[in-house]
Amino acid sequence: MSVVVVQNKDERAAFDEVFLPHLPEAYRLAQWLAGNASDAEDIVQEAALRAFRGIKNFGAVNARAWSLTIVRNTAFSWLTKNKPRTVVFLNDLSAAEQQELEYEGLHGARIETPEEIALFKADAEEVQKALAQLPVQFREVIVLREINQMNYRDIAEITNAPIGTVMSRLSRGRQLLMALLGDRR
Amino acid sequence: MVASLRDNDELQLNAYCDGELDPVSANEFERRLANEASLKARHARLLSLRQAVRSLPQFDVPATLQARIKSSLDAERSSNVTVLRQRRWSLQALAAAAVFGAVISSSVMMTIEQYGQREGVANQVVAGHIRSLLAPQPFDIASSDRHTVKPWFTARLPVSPQVPDLAAQGFALLGGRVDVVGQDPVATIIYKHAAHTLSLTTLRPGQSVSEQTIAGYNVRSWSDADFSYIAVSDLPSTDLATFQRAFSAAAPAPEIK
Repeated sequence: MSVVVVQNKDERAAFDEVFLPHLPEAYRLAQWLAGNASDAEDIVQEAALRAFRGIKNFGAVNARAWSLTIVRNTAFSWLTKNKPRTVVFLNDLSAAEQQELEYEGLHGARIETPEEIALFKADAEEVQKALAQLPVQFREVIVLREINQMNYRDIAEITNAPIGTVMSRLSRGRQLLMALLGDRR
Repeated sequence: MVASLRDNDELQLNAYCDGELDPVSANEFERRLANEASLKARHARLLSLRQAVRSLPQFDVPATLQARIKSSLDAERSSNVTVLRQRRWSLQALAAAAVFGAVISSSVMMTIEQYGQREGVANQVVAGHIRSLLAPQPFDIASSDRHTVKPWFTARLPVSPQVPDLAAQGFALLGGRVDVVGQDPVATIIYKHAAHTLSLTTLRPGQSVSEQTIAGYNVRSWSDADFSYIAVSDLPSTDLATFQRAFSAAAPAPEIK
């Protein structure tokens, strides 16, 4: 028995070392994905428990990406289970809609972002609203990039998507955001 | 005006702003940026969008969340301990039996363990190689210039190996990456021979493994004073032997002063 308890202590220490330092970032990501504070707290708590149970599988490579991956996946399963109506996942759309959303703005018809909209004033409330309106797959890459300041490689790992998809989602998401902000004035 | 933009300009522009273009492409892109007004306008707009998003107020972790997490982990732990307590008797018996067994077989076990650890190393190195082949590119730093690869390793690892370019011997230097073996980040140098990729992982000395085939990849291993080397490739083992000779000849261990 003593052996196992020691091991448990080690797991706790490992958890404290691997997951806890990224709690602020984890919470920020969860809040952006969930859209409100109380859901974000539930998500992060569940993610913490998952991280603790899986701490043995942590490969000592990138604690930050590992922790945020768990948070991201927990957020998605949590939202699907508890708030299925509030989140539009790309997978819920028809193939044509998906195609349009993911690619059209890049390779086909461009989203109209007239060049008169030259610069965006940092009106926090508007920006926050627009970002919250983006489909979650676009929102998550923008949040990971701009708020968490992750590089493409880590974003690809966290969102479980190829780097090319991350690039096109970022580009497309930013265009959508510009279009949304442009419409407001 | 919009239509004149190339299709992947938008992607390039984004990658440039995110600092994800390699130096050469970034340079090229900057030249275009200086000359094309429309691209320049888009660049400025993207930066202002970024500024707007980055200056959003950050959500702060509620003070209670860490305590909530702590207590949920405590609950998890105590439920584990309860389960174990029910099994305590059998664990004690097991422990007693283990003491006898341990005395007899400790030397055998040590040997087996060491062997197991070493073969574990080979497996991890091969796994690193396979993973790298599945990734968009098998290296973290792409360069056929050893003066680029070596400093890249030096900046990341406590010890870094010689990085000879063996193009003349048929093994062209492709680049380097950092693998993780056990808990340690280690330098892996990537070479190309015909259409085959070869990963050369460098470990602390005394960790060489036996010649073997894992998951269809040939493994060849040797040591010098500074490193143990494990070469992994789908090349036939004779080619790996050729590689070893070429590498050892080109990368003599620095003299010990």
